[in-house]
Amino acid sequence: MSTLSPPFDARVDLGRGLVLKNPIAVASGTFGFGFEAEALAGISHLGAIFSKGTTPLAREGNRPPRIAETAAGMLNSIGLQNPGVEIVCVDYAPRWASWPVPVLVNVAGADIAEYVMVVERLTGVSGVAGVELNISCPNIAHGLDFATEPAAAARCVAAVRAATDLPLVVKLSPNVTDIAEVARAVEDAGADAVSAVNTYVGMKITLPSRRPVLPGMGTGGLSGPAIKPLALAAVARVRRAVQVPVIGIGGIASPGDALEFLVAGADAVQVGTANFNNPHASREIVEGCLQYAQQHHLRRFADLRWQELEFPGAAEEGMRSD
Amino acid sequence: MSPTANATSAKGLAGESDLGRAIEELAECSQLRPLARNLFEITFQSPAIAELARPGEFAQIWVERSHIPLLRRPFSFSRADRRDGTVAFYLGVVGDGSRRLRALSPGDRVRILGPLGRGFTLPETPGRSALILGGLGAAPFPLLAERLRQLGEEVVWVNGARTADELYPDELIPPGVQEIVQFTEDGSQGSTGRITAGLLPLLKEVDRVYACGPNHMLGAVFQLISSSSLARLPLEVSIEAPMGCGFGTCLGCAIPLRADGTNTEPVIGLCCRQGPVLRGSLLDWEQLLLQPAHLA
Repeated sequence: MSTLSPPFDARVDLGRGLVLKNPIAVASGTFGFGFEAEALAGISHLGAIFSKGTTPLAREGNRPPRIAETAAGMLNSIGLQNPGVEIVCVDYAPRWASWPVPVLVNVAGADIAEYVMVVERLTGVSGVAGVELNISCPNIAHGLDFATEPAAAARCVAAVRAATDLPLVVKLSPNVTDIAEVARAVEDAGADAVSAVNTYVGMKITLPSRRPVLPGMGTGGLSGPAIKPLALAAVARVRRAVQVPVIGIGGIASPGDALEFLVAGADAVQVGTANFNNPHASREIVEGCLQYAQQHHLRRFADLRWQELEFPGAAEEGMRSD
Repeated sequence: MSPTANATSAKGLAGESDLGRAIEELAECSQLRPLARNLFEITFQSPAIAELARPGEFAQIWVERSHIPLLRRPFSFSRADRRDGTVAFYLGVVGDGSRRLRALSPGDRVRILGPLGRGFTLPETPGRSALILGGLGAAPFPLLAERLRQLGEEVVWVNGARTADELYPDELIPPGVQEIVQFTEDGSQGSTGRITAGLLPLLKEVDRVYACGPNHMLGAVFQLISSSSLARLPLEVSIEAPMGCGFGTCLGCAIPLRADGTNTEPVIGLCCRQGPVLRGSLLDWEQLLLQPAHLA
């Protein structure tokens, strides 16, 4: 009773031995360190978990208000509230070690030395499957410097690369002139994969108060379905720029959204803001994507990729033949 | 982070909600009862959550699979009836989320996640409780009053609002409440003035106080009691903060906490995990009252 078509393989290889059982992960800052979701909705369906941004020492985060809802999106200015890398290694990682899902720790710092310090501490810790370098947090002073200047991004990534043999993902900011340039720079500096995009800098103002809702400069990071078309364009651009795997992020709330990112050139995706509204979102997306693959007789998710990304020029040829 | 710092964590100060109790239920609207102004009470068939809900806990309600508004809205349980499997919420139209709920008809379905948060502490031996409610802060009290009465507790219901039609309706107050006292700022019903004006004499004979209302009202109630001869009276408040997820991952609903009676730097807690109900003495009121309370 065999079928003629080869079996479907949902796995995704992110390099350096990190193979996800499926391409659906959850985004840093939308899933804590995984324990809330473990209690509420389970985590075993996930391809990977990207933790809350982790710094050398504990951070209390920004003063409230920290979030504001916008049309089909939300702004956040949390300010990297986290318990610090020591607690992550001592209290959290041992619990992750027994999970059937790799956990990558998102790493943030104020300067290169801090990034290196955190990554060195995480290296060799059982339960830590890799790191994602957050060179693009819009909510801390200097957080964007490493993200916007390709040479600075490359220096940071090279220093971290020299300090660890863990799988190294670099999360890119969309708040740049050319995301492709930064993507190439971090690939050359040793990134195993890139994730795109972090939040877009945004502002919400209320007329009765005649001022922004968020404190400080009034800006925060915009996420949610509102940014999906922007993120798809950024992912397609990054895909053309680099050879390493690309992890697509930005407003994914349904299986269709996730599949669109795979078409746009992503090898895997992260579900973000949707986790807030629906703790079952990632499970529903995994199930929906697997069902789609079966219905459409895919051999692997990479079959979905827009051909123009694989064979540049195909779209132009197509236009000429019309 | 040093072990010392960990000991004064928000969790260490106030405990943490048990997310393992929360479930999601597809719930059918069974009744929408319009009240004065933009106020209403909405009831859902949600038997599994009705079984679990305790006074002061809340639910996150998703009206439809739409991206506007993006986030669920948190509401305290006003009623949870285990016999007929319903939960009810008392609210007013204040924004997109509550407007969607107001537009529902019996038979419409929503997704309810709950119970979430930490609720009120119920007494171990019966005595007398004062329930202090301001405006929409009445929301958790019908359920609290009912459960207190079941324990044999005497209940004093102290309701304040700007005007008579913003008071929680008399006919919805659970049976068995011993005493009902009302204040309106415009004097249209009950005593004239804010709730804090005539509060202390009402608290002379009570064993504990539960309060819910705008954060500034709760701060005033805390200040009044703690600077009076009743400073040792146990006070629990249900506070509000702009909430994203309701279960501790978005870190949006940060609130300033500190150990009882200290002046140390506040520790950041989350309204959704350490609250929404907290001992009044655990909050840094000065910091809290600098914050806007709602998701704008």
